[in-house]
Amino acid sequence: MKLLTRTSRYYLLISVVVFVISGLIFFRLLHTIFEKQLDETLFEEKLLIEETINFSDSVPDFRSVFGHMIDITIVNTSHVKTEYIRDTLMYDRDLGSFAAFRHLFVENTSVKHKGYTINIYKPLSDSEKLITEIILIVVLVFIILLVLLVWANYFIARRVWIPFYRTISNLSHYEINQEKPLSLMKTDIYEFNLLNQALAKMSKKIQQDYINLKEFNENASHELLTPISVIKSKLELLIQGEDLDEQQLQLISSVFDATSRISKLNQGLLLISKIENNQFAQAEEVNMSQIIDITLEHFEEIIEHRKIVITKKYFHEVILNMNRTLAEILITNLISNAIRHNIASGNIEIILTADSFSVTNTGQHLKTDPAGLFERFRKSESNPDSVGLGLSIVQKIANLYQMKVTYTYSEGLHKLKIFHLTPSHKMLIHKEKENSTPSDKD
Amino acid sequence: MKILLIEDEKELSCSITEYLQKESYLCEAVLTFDDAIEKINMYQYDCIIVDINLPDGSGLNVIRALKKNKSETGIIIISAKNSLDDKVSGLGIGADDYLTKPFHLPELNARVKSIIRRRSFGGINEIVFNDIRILPEEMEVTVNGNSLDLTKKEYALLIFFISNKDRVLTKESIAEHLWGDEMDMADSFDFIYTHIKNLRKKIMEKGGEDYIRTIYGMGYKFTDR
Repeated sequence: MKLLTRTSRYYLLISVVVFVISGLIFFRLLHTIFEKQLDETLFEEKLLIEETINFSDSVPDFRSVFGHMIDITIVNTSHVKTEYIRDTLMYDRDLGSFAAFRHLFVENTSVKHKGYTINIYKPLSDSEKLITEIILIVVLVFIILLVLLVWANYFIARRVWIPFYRTISNLSHYEINQEKPLSLMKTDIYEFNLLNQALAKMSKKIQQDYINLKEFNENASHELLTPISVIKSKLELLIQGEDLDEQQLQLISSVFDATSRISKLNQGLLLISKIENNQFAQAEEVNMSQIIDITLEHFEEIIEHRKIVITKKYFHEVILNMNRTLAEILITNLISNAIRHNIASGNIEIILTADSFSVTNTGQHLKTDPAGLFERFRKSESNPDSVGLGLSIVQKIANLYQMKVTYTYSEGLHKLKIFHLTPSHKMLIHKEKENSTPSDKD
Repeated sequence: MKILLIEDEKELSCSITEYLQKESYLCEAVLTFDDAIEKINMYQYDCIIVDINLPDGSGLNVIRALKKNKSETGIIIISAKNSLDDKVSGLGIGADDYLTKPFHLPELNARVKSIIRRRSFGGINEIVFNDIRILPEEMEVTVNGNSLDLTKKEYALLIFFISNKDRVLTKESIAEHLWGDEMDMADSFDFIYTHIKNLRKKIMEKGGEDYIRTIYGMGYKFTDR
């Protein structure tokens, strides 16, 4: 729910509650006031009647004077003075129905010791009608006020929050690996300026950290590669010696292997960190089948050597909009993985469809948990020399382009499949094509 | 042949110099950008090997300075930065080749030779090793005058061997020369052996001598000694 909707809703709710409560109070108050006024009139009339009775000793016809029901009766019995006022229901001849009346009853003895009772009835309907009219007007005014207020609140809020939404939009478009800093417009609202300042400060710090990290990575790789280069070069000079015996050569060979492992590890980790830092942003149109063909050609000798039969099935010409280097690494890693973990005289099937690419190879049953296959430094027992970063790199690249990598195994066939060569990264040229070219030349 | 090596890492510089001097190249080494600029302004080199990251400047600027002098010198960049940008900009401003550290000395040697060969005028663009003759432009190999039919990889292997004759080449450096970094295969060295066996067989079939020696546990050596 949008902030604006929520505040408007609360605003409306509170207004209605306040209105209902204050309306009830207002109604009660109005009622009391009118009743009081009515009672005062009744008493005034009563006083007038009593004065007349005391003065003239007769029963005057007040009905014609006041225009409503007055009933005066002379009684002989003299009572103690009683007086009460109440609401009553009576038949109204004017209306032809029962209606509410205010009724004043007085029983008293006049100056000349004559007993009398006075009943004065005043219809309540007049004041009630008035109250209703007043309430109606108030409600109307209130509704107009409410609508205006909510509308005004909505528009004011919308105006006021503009810088906030602008900041959010800027933030969501901000990419840390882009050189340009986060630009936030200055507003005339103190709090938003405060927010923008805090965000600008934070992003600057993050960017600085990011640059530092990047520099650290680059520096670390540089610093590491140079000593590795030195070791390698010294070893290469060392083996040129004429008088080395077998044992010494064996030792040097072991050092060589270890050094090249460090070197490969370093390169792999550097590549992963570069992918994670999105440093392969430059994209171009990449023809997948072309890259597959080039990669297979590259591995031709080892494929032949291992007597592996390659089956290619290209159902579509798939052109992705991605970084060429990454596309090459992706395919190279998948294919070399399929070769490496294959059996002698095995098969590799490569299938390229409109939105997936899969490499299936024969191979020994996986002894480790397939779920951990894409983790770093995951190695198979059959190949302890590999660095164990290949599939991790594949996953990183796939993630970068919102693709999905899955691994399945059935009946001696390992299948790595990349899904969602998503439309945003893809232009399809519908060209049904299937070529199956076993490259077994033996 | 005069070569200038611009590399700030002293030990690496020593190794490269030592390796290249055995090829009877005159190899001078400088450690800084300033020295490099001084040298290239004073002398003429057949090839310079330049590191991009120098303590007092960029190797790219050395290349720019060379190109401003309209120098014909061959240029090889060696850089620890495995960065595509460096490679692209380096080759863009006129470098001939790019090697990423850590590299194998035989690889550097082969690249230097290739560049010098390409730049050598006079038309004697031919590699000769005893009875083996190679015409690199035609990719043609003859043994005792008999044409040799080699695959692309066998041809590259032969060139690599001859470029580094009398040197011990590790299986790893051969694999990397032929297949690049990706050859992270357990038994990749087995099939290097197969390749070498095939090459050896083909040369001998045409009456050539067997120059390839196996160095136990280490690699191979192409030599007539």
